[in-house]
Amino acid sequence: MSTFKKKSFTSYLSHQTILVIALFVVVMIFGIIEPVFFKPRVFFDVFAIVGEIGLMALGLTFVITTGGIDLGVGYNLQMSGIVFGLTWATTQNLALAIAFTLVTGTLGGFFNGLIISRTRIPSLVTTLATMYLYRGLSMIIAGSNNYAGFPDVLQKISTTRLFGFLPVQFIYLLVLFFILDFIYERGVLGRNLKGMGFNENAVIYSGVNTKKILLGIYTFLGLLCGMAAIVYLGRFSAAKTSMGDNMNFEVITAVLLGGTSTMGGIGSMRGTLIGIIIIGVLKKGFSLLNFSGNIYNFTLGLILILSLLLFSVMEEKKKVSSRKI
Amino acid sequence: MSLIKKPKLTREGLLAIIVAAFILFLSLTTNFSSKSGIYSFMLDVSPTMVAAIGLSMIIFTGNIDISAGTISGFVAYTAGALVKAGAPMIIFVPAAILVGTLLAGLNGYLTVKFKVPSIVVTLAMNMVHVGFYATFLPQSGWIENLGPRFTWFGRARLFGIIPYTFLVAVVVAAIFIFIMAYSKFGKKLYAVGGNVQSAVYSGINPDRIVIKVFFIEGFLIGISALLRALTRNEVMPSMFIGRELFFISAALVGGVSIFGGSGKITGAVLGAMFVYLITIAMIYLGFQDYYQFALQGIIILIAVFITVADFSNWKKKRLKASEGAV
Repeated sequence: MSTFKKKSFTSYLSHQTILVIALFVVVMIFGIIEPVFFKPRVFFDVFAIVGEIGLMALGLTFVITTGGIDLGVGYNLQMSGIVFGLTWATTQNLALAIAFTLVTGTLGGFFNGLIISRTRIPSLVTTLATMYLYRGLSMIIAGSNNYAGFPDVLQKISTTRLFGFLPVQFIYLLVLFFILDFIYERGVLGRNLKGMGFNENAVIYSGVNTKKILLGIYTFLGLLCGMAAIVYLGRFSAAKTSMGDNMNFEVITAVLLGGTSTMGGIGSMRGTLIGIIIIGVLKKGFSLLNFSGNIYNFTLGLILILSLLLFSVMEEKKKVSSRKI
Repeated sequence: MSLIKKPKLTREGLLAIIVAAFILFLSLTTNFSSKSGIYSFMLDVSPTMVAAIGLSMIIFTGNIDISAGTISGFVAYTAGALVKAGAPMIIFVPAAILVGTLLAGLNGYLTVKFKVPSIVVTLAMNMVHVGFYATFLPQSGWIENLGPRFTWFGRARLFGIIPYTFLVAVVVAAIFIFIMAYSKFGKKLYAVGGNVQSAVYSGINPDRIVIKVFFIEGFLIGISALLRALTRNEVMPSMFIGRELFFISAALVGGVSIFGGSGKITGAVLGAMFVYLITIAMIYLGFQDYYQFALQGIIILIAVFITVADFSNWKKKRLKASEGAV
């Protein structure tokens, strides 16, 4: 084919370009309606809001790249958070509570990974089932208790502001993003993950133990859920059985908005990061405008559907064969 | 070869035996077999039976609908709002079912036309629906004091024991068992779920089949939602949030393969009964409500695991492993 073929205008618009434009537009809209939005302390609050969601979304990008999905990250967070509350309430030992939280999250992810990698049960059903399992478990553990009265040290984990305006979550996200982005774009693991999304057998035949990789990424996602639980508790200082209810959907939306395909094989950490920020801006903007959480959910659902339709139309134009691995 | 067919225990047969044993066990140990026990079981199980049939048909084609519960909410709201406005049954029932059909059809249309996996479309739709209830419907869609014009059908009983809703469910089940077993459409459905490529080569248009199935599922969700709503004097769309868990687990317990292409409507119907019997048993045993979530999750996992696992292969593998060890 001739390399001099004239490119159409739309082919210059990658997912990420569109996302950045969308982000810019959303920020401008909120800023114009509510000028207080542009104050650094208010604007950077966006990162404090999406701290938990962001951690999980970055991990979920790995999972969705392989063509899998985890529907229940929010309930894994809930279960981990409840375990934190229980441990703190019984032992008053912060280190132990944090350790148990991380272990619980990791085990939750490990259990998913074990089922998905060792049996042929699709991730969709596995996580649908374990999502209810974890929700049920956290309700059983907590009963009607709400755990509160956590030490101030815990709050420092999430409410510290660098230079007086930059939430510490920004640093967490950035560090995790750089590590995962490097693995995703440059590492062998990233290449294998994308390969598994396209054709798992091909990757198996090239001598890669895909079962181990699957188990690994789900377990890692579980660990991130545990971490997210701690960040969440630092922000709200109370472990309730309603925590994380809405997050399953927000996390998946962030990843899919970022252009990672549910079919597997294509995606980007950068896209996910922009997706996370868009969600944060929406959340912050809506709360500034005093809109209810329901309007936010409604909008988020619509945005997800529209973005999927847009991407699918774009894919159609570019033809799937030209996807880069 | 003998001419007499050896009776073979199918998955559905096995499930039927389990359900029967369960009923026997419950009636021996509790007052389940009393008039009110049987009545309330039939009343509770009928909406799930009908919806599980719809979900099974979706799963046959290799798709799924996570928004089935929230679509039900719209159906119930439509019926309630129309009754409040003074519409007779001949209008509000078809209108409500139509709403369900169209909403599910929209899911199907988006899934097929834009090649987006149904799980993502319906997950997003679920969110849109829930947000819609609370944002746009007056009082979040809560309508009370609907009166006997709304409830008479849901509360009517045949011979004082069989609720009309159960009769509807049985008729619907019979029709769909027949359709899936004997019609061309049923065969096409299995073909699309089993192997799309070969379905295409044999002249089936899979897109059209999938869209059709979504519409049919919506129709069944509509009936199911009405069967549940009509028993109450009020409608509240949020009451239906999360119901899809029961529908899906009924289908999966009934042996409908999540990979598509296999399973039976009979299985889904029995699966719905099984799910409810477990619930009832847990209530009798004095477990709190929230154990339901954990239990449903475990039931789904076990059911799918049994469907997926090829035990004959396992034996061979174990043999091989033990040989290797020696």
